[in-house]
Amino acid sequence: MTSPQKIDPSNIGEQAQIKLPSWKTDAKPFVQIENITKKFDDFTAVDNISLDIYENELFCLLGGSGSGKSTLLRMLAGFEAPSSGRILIDGIDMAGIQPWNRPVNMMFQSYALFPHLTVNENIAFGLKREGIRGTEVKKRVAEMLDLVQLGHLGKRKPNQLSGGQRQRVALARSLIKRPKLLLLDEPLGALDKKLREETQFELINIQDELGVTFVVVTHDQEEAMTLATRIGVMNHGVIVQTDEPHEVYEYPNSRFVAEFVGSVNLFQGEVTTDEPDTVCVTSTEAGGVLCVNHGISCAPNQEVHVAVRPEKVRISEQRPDQPFNCIEGNILDIAYMGSLSVFKVKLPSGKEVRVTQPNINRESGGRFTWDDKVFLSWDMDSCVVLTS
Amino acid sequence: MTIKKALTLSVCSALLAGNAFASDKVLNIYNWSDYIEPEAIARFEKETGIKVNYDVYDSNEVLEAKLMAGGSGYDLVIPTGAFLERQLQAGIYQEIDKSKLSNYSNLDTALIEKVSAHDKGNLHNVPYAWGTIGLGYNIDAVKARLGDMEFDTLDLIFNPEITAKLKDCGIGVLDSPAEVMSIAQNYAGVDPNSESKADLKKGAEVLEAVRGDYKYFHSGKYISDLANGDICVALGYNGDILQAQSRAEEAGQGVSISYAIPKEGTLIWFDLMAIPADAPHPELAYQFINYVLEGETAAGISNYVYYAVPNKAAEPLLNDDVISNPGIYPSDAVKAKLFAQKAHAAKFDRLLTRTWVNIKTGR
Amino acid sequence: MSTASRVAWINDSYTKMTKYNFFSRVNWGRFSVVAVPYLWLAIFFFIPFVVVFKISLSEAAIAVPPYSSVLDWNLEEAYITVKISLSNYLFLLEDDFYVSAYLSSIKVAAISTFFTLLVAFPIAYLMARTEGSTRALLLALVILPFWTSFLLRVYAWMGLLKKNGLINETLMSMGLIDQPLVMMQTDFAVYIGIVYTYLPFMVLPLYSALEKMDMTLLEAAEDLGARPYQSFFLVTLPMAMPGVIAGCLLVFIPAVGEFVIPALLGGSDTLMIGRVLWDEFFLNRDWPMASAVAVVMLIILVLPIMLIRNGQGKEGAA
Repeated sequence: MTSPQKIDPSNIGEQAQIKLPSWKTDAKPFVQIENITKKFDDFTAVDNISLDIYENELFCLLGGSGSGKSTLLRMLAGFEAPSSGRILIDGIDMAGIQPWNRPVNMMFQSYALFPHLTVNENIAFGLKREGIRGTEVKKRVAEMLDLVQLGHLGKRKPNQLSGGQRQRVALARSLIKRPKLLLLDEPLGALDKKLREETQFELINIQDELGVTFVVVTHDQEEAMTLATRIGVMNHGVIVQTDEPHEVYEYPNSRFVAEFVGSVNLFQGEVTTDEPDTVCVTSTEAGGVLCVNHGISCAPNQEVHVAVRPEKVRISEQRPDQPFNCIEGNILDIAYMGSLSVFKVKLPSGKEVRVTQPNINRESGGRFTWDDKVFLSWDMDSCVVLTS
Repeated sequence: MTIKKALTLSVCSALLAGNAFASDKVLNIYNWSDYIEPEAIARFEKETGIKVNYDVYDSNEVLEAKLMAGGSGYDLVIPTGAFLERQLQAGIYQEIDKSKLSNYSNLDTALIEKVSAHDKGNLHNVPYAWGTIGLGYNIDAVKARLGDMEFDTLDLIFNPEITAKLKDCGIGVLDSPAEVMSIAQNYAGVDPNSESKADLKKGAEVLEAVRGDYKYFHSGKYISDLANGDICVALGYNGDILQAQSRAEEAGQGVSISYAIPKEGTLIWFDLMAIPADAPHPELAYQFINYVLEGETAAGISNYVYYAVPNKAAEPLLNDDVISNPGIYPSDAVKAKLFAQKAHAAKFDRLLTRTWVNIKTGR
Repeated sequence: MSTASRVAWINDSYTKMTKYNFFSRVNWGRFSVVAVPYLWLAIFFFIPFVVVFKISLSEAAIAVPPYSSVLDWNLEEAYITVKISLSNYLFLLEDDFYVSAYLSSIKVAAISTFFTLLVAFPIAYLMARTEGSTRALLLALVILPFWTSFLLRVYAWMGLLKKNGLINETLMSMGLIDQPLVMMQTDFAVYIGIVYTYLPFMVLPLYSALEKMDMTLLEAAEDLGARPYQSFFLVTLPMAMPGVIAGCLLVFIPAVGEFVIPALLGGSDTLMIGRVLWDEFFLNRDWPMASAVAVVMLIILVLPIMLIRNGQGKEGAA
């Protein structure tokens, strides 16, 4: 578990601090993004971002539409020029280097397969532009087709392939030049849910096998969680948090991240106890005192939010024996989802709280019913205090 | 319902208009464009109460194509002699009953005699107007290149030594194979109406020798080109060239055009009024023909279109600049050298067309 | 039968039922949709063609109409005579004049089509790449001349190209040339006339092909190392190919039979099949021969199109 001191409140809401992944402390960054800004007329798509990405990483840029993640990716590929700042790839400044001269390849969201060329010709396209001809091309195309398991479809045209097959062709085409950096724009976005889950693992395997650095843009937090070594969460042109998936989920540094990544219950309140290993917040919204077992930089009486994930909340008929992190309310709604049940609990303040409980045995979903009075409780280390 | 009716009516009338006649008192005339004094028609309508449906064409070929297809609906047409001559073989004209034409005696008998070469006994036609094909030239431009000489000679367009000197200021020749070839054969000293291959070759040789010096073969462009100074010599119809002359005067750009009937002799042509065999209203056509034969009407036409009319009664009524213009009414001595172009056999026509295309394209 | 298999069975037969209804309904709709253009073709193309073809099998005559009849019958005496003359077609082959007229027409049409493509491509490309009002403006500029008479526009070119026309006057007043350039009555003027007149027929299909093209394809090509000119030849051009083929056919076919433009702008030595046809019809008064010339022209034009369409069909099925 990462130490809670990681959250540096002076940085929250501004540029998130870039942290080295623990397994790569001394390495030199492969991609260095330094104070990059991109403006389209009056609109700032990317606002002074700095970011280092390391060799062999599978880095996910996660954000909603208009967050600037695609613009950042397109600047790496060379399709957009930064308004200010610079990008170094493998130590070389990319300023003024055209897309066709960059050591980078991209897999497009729409795949952008050439409809007039066969699968083989599509994959060979990049090699032929390097002046490679003949058997070398054949050999390497065959290798790529094997890698993506499409060996038998080389002579087809893209419109004769299924969505999943096209996705693989696009991947093979973008890998054939053995780029050191592969950019993937929503690589799984066009696939249905089941196919997406299978392909996620294949993507990781291929990345592992080839040792290529991946930068993936996605709006799907589950996809980011599964794929990424690290996630950069983007909002309004800035990276609000960069961390390993687990950290981003368990220790979001802002209400935005907490809400964007997974679902969360937020309670507004005032700091009443502020000690190095305990902070307590009195929340009228929650109807009780909420405490965490680690210190944060805050002042007494400061307005803060306490965040707790639905799956961390216990639900019981009897008031549990704990002085804080225990609130009461009535069940408003129950949804049986198979593996778990979702409860909506209405507090006296009117606030609705979301609770999920695994259905450990067959009856666990049926313990409560509508309008039951219940108590909600959680541990001190299950919640975080957010100052922004 | 009313809308439907109205539509049907308008469609019907459109169809009728296409067929060029509607009721009993309508006379359908198909004449050359710009070939009549406009008031003449209005006067005729007023005097007779007949409505004239007046349609125009600008080539004999178009007229012929319409007539040969059949069912043209015209009551009166005005083909040129050689065309009428051939069309008579298809039997598309009716015989003219001269007893219905009180003014027939106004016609110039000497000229009618020439016309009978096309239509023996003049059974199917009444002459409308006549003219010549001759030389139009830009006086200053030609003088500057050829010095002092008489310009009433076909050497201007047929003598390679002279055409070479005129090449830079432009020579235009009618794109009319039969007429131009007749003139060329006559210039080469053979019968202008000969259909022998050897004579055709002689005529063709005349043209081939000077072809490279010509700017174009075209039957209409030379009018404005002469007037603008884009060409300096043209072989064309006398009326067209006189039109170019007056246009050049109006423009006042210092271009002055003259018309000459070549001394080697040239082609005289007649445009002849004829009634199609299937004319819906031949009686009305007779009335119009008789009206044209009136001295006053004929003079009006001649004064307006600058072509001669074969009408003795018209002569006293002609304007001075018309009757005294040798380009329109040449002297008897000049007239004696004029020849009519006869219709050719179909076989010769094909040969002539081929020869003509070869000359034009320089093949 | 279990509930599950029963549901599946019901679903299956339901699909079959709806499928059946679906097709029987579409067939009627399809029939009427297809019938209209076929009817149109039959009335305005096929029947006139049969008439022309029939005339081409007769012989010229001085009569009304001026050709012999192919089919004669008399019901009372109970006979039908069919008299077909192939002499017109034989004559076409015998005489190299017609062959060279066809070849020269095809040459003029091919060169004009090539230059039309060259001029139209940048225009269409620009139209497809710009947005909103600029695109509307360009489209208007391409289509607007069509609102004036075709003859008027050709006459306007005569005014520009002639000896003392606008181009010569301008060049001379600028001191670029001493003598007026000879442009009228040349093949050059014919090419200008055809390129100008048929430009929209090339621009519009090209535009519609280019406009449909996915721009990320160009980025993909660049990303894979293609320089812009390579992207153009390897991606843009192949993607625009349906438009190029459609545009070229729309220009080439009418250009082969073009009569007015060579007559007005061309020299006397511009030999084109349209003119030959005119001569056969009006000067030789040989309607059957003129018809034969027209039929052969149609065959020359239609055959390559059918071959191209066949080729495209095969490609689509592969």
